[in-house]
Amino acid sequence: MKKLLIFATGLLLMAISFQVQGQTYKTRDGYVYFNPNKDQDHKDYAAATKEGTGVLRVETAEVAFLVQMKTFHFNNALLEEHFNENYLHSDKYPNATYKGKLVGFTKDMLTKDGVYNLTSEGQVTMHGVTKDFKSPVKLTVSGKTATFECEFKIKAEDYKIEIPGIVKPKLADFTPLKANIKFQLN
Amino acid sequence: MKKIIALTIIGCCMLLRVVAQGDLLDEINKEDSAKPQRNFTTATFKATRIINMQSVELTGAGNLQFMITHHFGLLWNKDAGAQNLVQMFGLNAGIAKTYLALDYSFNRWFNVGLAAAGTSNFEGWMRFKLLRQQTGTYNIPVTVDWISTANVNSSKTATLIGEPVWNRYSFMHQLLIARKFSDKFSLQFMPTLVHNNVVPFGVNNSNNVWSLGVGGRYKVSDKKAITFEYARQLNMFDFVIMKNGTIVNYNPNLVSIGYDWDTGGHIFQLFASSTTMSTNIEQLTRNPYNFAKGEFALGFNINRSFGIKKKVKEL
Repeated sequence: MKKLLIFATGLLLMAISFQVQGQTYKTRDGYVYFNPNKDQDHKDYAAATKEGTGVLRVETAEVAFLVQMKTFHFNNALLEEHFNENYLHSDKYPNATYKGKLVGFTKDMLTKDGVYNLTSEGQVTMHGVTKDFKSPVKLTVSGKTATFECEFKIKAEDYKIEIPGIVKPKLADFTPLKANIKFQLN
Repeated sequence: MKKIIALTIIGCCMLLRVVAQGDLLDEINKEDSAKPQRNFTTATFKATRIINMQSVELTGAGNLQFMITHHFGLLWNKDAGAQNLVQMFGLNAGIAKTYLALDYSFNRWFNVGLAAAGTSNFEGWMRFKLLRQQTGTYNIPVTVDWISTANVNSSKTATLIGEPVWNRYSFMHQLLIARKFSDKFSLQFMPTLVHNNVVPFGVNNSNNVWSLGVGGRYKVSDKKAITFEYARQLNMFDFVIMKNGTIVNYNPNLVSIGYDWDTGGHIFQLFASSTTMSTNIEQLTRNPYNFAKGEFALGFNINRSFGIKKKVKEL
């Protein structure tokens, strides 16, 4: 009986310490860039945000990322207005979110400098539409920073983003995006 | 007993796990809402003008905007009769005032502009965004702009020989207070002061003309909107005696209705207004046409803005 109690208490303590160890990292300056032009050398329509919020749960290798659509800025203010008013309806759908898992991620990676190739799988929600998502991710750990880099493509139609016929010939069918999310480790 | 304890402990462990495993999306929403919340209202109006008057929208930060405005002749000229048909309701009447303007925004709240206003007039303005409509940390119901315009008439006949050059100047100061009530409907209120350095010769005329204006837009689709404007002078130039001896009464009302069309690259605004003048100062203080008599004229604005400052950086 006593043994069992000790064992049980030990288990409980382990469970608690385990949870404490279940570290969660957060960032508020995630970077996302996209250039919808067909010709990627043309950057007239490109936009970027530096205000994405990201959460990484080390224990379960879960990640989540959120971007407010209105934080995307364009060189031309008119494009920014169109982006918010006509394409993504940012007042109605203010955020784009991603929730998923990092396949191949272990917590040891964060303690050792290096470059790791992972895959992330999950769901993207944008413009009121949720879609499955899968993409390779590059993790670079150097000292106290872990940088996740991800380049992926999405199709505007999949998210019910209507692009007028006049503009369509200038745009790529699949919009390439780049994300760069840095976590400060401690 | 053993079983109970073991079960309790396992239960506790699971509970702890559940607590820690709260949905990551909830957590990120919480994290995101912990940021200072500044939900700025954007796109109160389509363009930097409602019709004739400036709107609270500034040209985007780091953007240079070029605007072409035309004010044609009267839609229906009573004296012309059937000639109105060949004059194509003012479009072909040989009277069109062209207003060419360039303006640049250094940042979100400061804009300067220069314009050639037709009839040898030049205009320059400075405008400041004083308040932005927003919710969140601060709750501000309106957007407020201040705009000051200086106008110089450089035509040969504007002043007599020997008169100081200062007589050619007039100024306008305007406060623009606007609220976007919904996605579709915005309203703007604009108290205005026009100061003329020289008062036209007449009865009880003063250098300062005060005016109150209201303007609005209603979006009919993402890219199209209907706009209106009304401005009323509180005091005005009366019985102005012109150089040729005729007496002119200026009309204190300025009525306009318009149609905004965002073509993607530029914004096209077609309007009918009870004036043929091209500058706000003339429209508000020296407009002889009376809307009640159906004296309207067609006109349009075309805006195109260029991203001068490159803000988007690729990592």
